[in-house]
Amino acid sequence: MSRGLVMHSKDNVATVLEDIASGQSVEIEGGEKTLMICATEAIPFGHKIALGKIRSNAKVLKYGEVIGTATQEISAGSHVHVHNIKSTRG
Amino acid sequence: MPRKKGTPTFWGYRRPEGPPGGRNHLAIISGMDNSNPIVRRIGSLVRDATPVNTSFGRALMGEDEEQHWRVMGHTAAHPNVGAAIIVSLEPKSANAIAEVAAKTSPWMPIESVNIQEIGGTLSTTSHVVELATKLSAHLASAKRVRCELGELTIGAECGGSDTTSGVISNPVTGMVADKVVEAGGSVIFSETLEIVGAEHLLARRAADRKTARRIIAAAKRAVDYAESIGVDFIGSNPAPDNIRGGLSSIEEKSLGAIKKAGSHPIVEVVGVGERPSKKGTIFADAPCAGVENISSLAASGAQAIIFSTGIGNPIGHPISPTIKVTGNPRTARTMAENIDVDISGVMEGRMRIDEARDLLEKELIAVMSGKLTTSELLGETELTVSRAALSL
Repeated sequence: MSRGLVMHSKDNVATVLEDIASGQSVEIEGGEKTLMICATEAIPFGHKIALGKIRSNAKVLKYGEVIGTATQEISAGSHVHVHNIKSTRG
Repeated sequence: MPRKKGTPTFWGYRRPEGPPGGRNHLAIISGMDNSNPIVRRIGSLVRDATPVNTSFGRALMGEDEEQHWRVMGHTAAHPNVGAAIIVSLEPKSANAIAEVAAKTSPWMPIESVNIQEIGGTLSTTSHVVELATKLSAHLASAKRVRCELGELTIGAECGGSDTTSGVISNPVTGMVADKVVEAGGSVIFSETLEIVGAEHLLARRAADRKTARRIIAAAKRAVDYAESIGVDFIGSNPAPDNIRGGLSSIEEKSLGAIKKAGSHPIVEVVGVGERPSKKGTIFADAPCAGVENISSLAASGAQAIIFSTGIGNPIGHPISPTIKVTGNPRTARTMAENIDVDISGVMEGRMRIDEARDLLEKELIAVMSGKLTTSELLGETELTVSRAALSL
């Protein structure tokens, strides 16, 4: 079973703890209860996976804080990174 | 102090006033770089003496000189020190450092020695050996007593950071920091450049507006200085290797770094080596580099430092025991002798995050009760004082 860690209950992304292949199930720990999510694409170790749908312009939350804004709609299980989110610091 | 049920206690040295120590060092404090050789020599001549070397110290001016005296004086007056001898080239610096120390810990036996007045290497060495032997006999009868977790101030530092720092060792350090603060104690965190990008979020955690303003001002000063020497800090972060590691924005990078300080309101901002006036979560406006940072944290009164590392760093502080914690399995294996707490099991699915927190908390209690850290055992300890100005 592949694993990921969520840092805060408000977060809409988790960090994966190993390289994930497309279609692989990821067990997300660290929250109130363990979640299962299917990766829709390959996600490298240390990168983020969307825990649910994130709308375009919506805030991306990690550590319970805003780490950026979605530049396009991001579906659950997608790789969340510089190609689909941007810093709010300009 | 009433103790919350289930709050751990440690065995420390009760002081006539101020917080208890986890060590009872006879500290031989060097006042400036030119006095380091004598101080080092005392360390090998007197069994229980702890030599504390320094950097610079000569020909400093204004704020820079004051900062040097403050850091060295507060290091001498540290709760983990039972008695101190200040050794410097000339009387002005030796006495200034001794004065800061005496003001901070009035109960402490403090001697001030200067090489010019005593006359040369051999006479000074012989004189300090004599003083140190007497003080060592005085410290030998000290006993450890039960102390409360809430009497602790811990320092939180991260060095040699990687992906595992932001998701494992920093958050776990933050959980232990929260527990110390909830028990009535303090955590001091710093590394100003590492809050840049998340300073607006950190300022929202400030307990009052003055603290919020000081957080923003500290970050701005660091960014402005970088710009003045031609570095666009915000524009160049996250760096390409950070992006490869999975960091998508500067705020994500900074949030991962400040996670080591836990989640409580920030009650005060202090400068390099300044002692806080409040209890709780404290931000120290001090540089990031490991040795500089732990030197500042210890001078600010941290009785122990939790040093979260990803790719590894062997260094510790000579007076404030420095606990190395890593979530990186490779570092835990390749630098095993430098790691105090291995929580890489979280990475490999062998350990839950709350088990990692309990392991780190247990180690903090054990170290404060006398267990030596890897950096103490190996002698991998160092101190340096941040400069407030260019040397002229």
